[in-house]
Amino acid sequence: MLKLLKKTLQVGQATVEYPFKPVEVAPGFRGKPVYNFSRCIACGACATACPPNAITMDCDLERGIKSWNINYGRCIFCGRCEEVCPTGAIALSAEFELAAARKEDLYCRAEVQLCKCISCGEYFGPSRELEYVLAILKQARLLESGHEGWEQLLKVCPKCRRRKIAGSGAKALGARARF
Amino acid sequence: MDQEVKLAELKAKLKNVIKRSVYVYRVDCGGCNGCEIEIFAAISPVYDPERFGIKVVASPRHADVLLFTGPMTRAMRLPAIRAYKAAPDPKIVVAYGACGCSGGIFHDCYCVWGGADSLFPVDVYIPGCPPTPAATLYGLAMALDLLQQKIKGEQLVETEVTRVTPKYEGVCPDLAKDIEREARRLSGYLHGRRIAAQYLEFVREKDPLAVDRKIKELVKQEKDPRLAEIFLSLHKIYMERVGHNAG
Repeated sequence: MLKLLKKTLQVGQATVEYPFKPVEVAPGFRGKPVYNFSRCIACGACATACPPNAITMDCDLERGIKSWNINYGRCIFCGRCEEVCPTGAIALSAEFELAAARKEDLYCRAEVQLCKCISCGEYFGPSRELEYVLAILKQARLLESGHEGWEQLLKVCPKCRRRKIAGSGAKALGARARF
Repeated sequence: MDQEVKLAELKAKLKNVIKRSVYVYRVDCGGCNGCEIEIFAAISPVYDPERFGIKVVASPRHADVLLFTGPMTRAMRLPAIRAYKAAPDPKIVVAYGACGCSGGIFHDCYCVWGGADSLFPVDVYIPGCPPTPAATLYGLAMALDLLQQKIKGEQLVETEVTRVTPKYEGVCPDLAKDIEREARRLSGYLHGRRIAAQYLEFVREKDPLAVDRKIKELVKQEKDPRLAEIFLSLHKIYMERVGHNAG
């Protein structure tokens, strides 16, 4: 008996005091994917990469809104969304206490506005994404000449752009060469 | 309807009566056994849920809590229903793991009906693939009203167009892309991104000679030879781009 007590005192306590004390997770632990709305450009790369379709994107062309949805109940915490995100808007955190009593609490939804095509007036792409492209071009010093031209080009939907290019022969050839 | 109200009352009573001693029966509806392994890790002495009276039992007739793991497959739906019927009535149903919550990665398989909530009224969802033992303890404690729910549904709406700035301000996007790609190739996306960010922080100064000096200093002080190697190969790309010899 005493021998056993001595042994237990030597070995110490193995049980973690989890609910009463926070538990330490390992470095690189893949927990809840945290979404940073202000960094998202709604490009949809995460939705394409997500293996279980926990992240989905859909467009409402009538309201001019593109929405981003995540279902934490379906997420398998693989980290692919973090891997593909070009702006670092989504990152896996160490948060693991995700249990919820209601299903709605497992969802996160974000809505971004779409940009209207200046030629046909239809919604086609997220305004944030276009702004981001402009900012990238500016950093690559491609915008110094013909700033307006780029902007005009970006705010036309792909359909109208195709029509425009097909419609105006030699001038269009020049425009295509620029791409 | 009347019966439902009665059941809810009974359930509230159950939570009052059982307080901290609760018997759990787990029902595998067709999962990959990741969840089972994690449950067994959770009932090991390290997490020791028996100090709260949480015990895994072998028969649904003893159970207060039913833990449904795995997606609800067509073949397992009847056994799952039998287990549900066999448990005495005020019972708590827990959907465990990504599959138990919504079908998980198997949600669009031909034989999968969805999560446990496609058949049963679920009280608590424990997401995770699989949930860690700590998450399991948290979920069970939440099912017994010992702990509060932390996660909340979110709805974010963009009211006016906001601008998203590129990740590496002041660095040519082409260079940033090349550096990040090489860093990822050498050390994976997680560390690659961190290393690339660290490197591009130096590049921001725009003076190639100053960058060269700083990187060489960093490499000299770096204790991990692998990291030093990666920094050197990133540096080579940068120096080639600005037209200097990496030396």
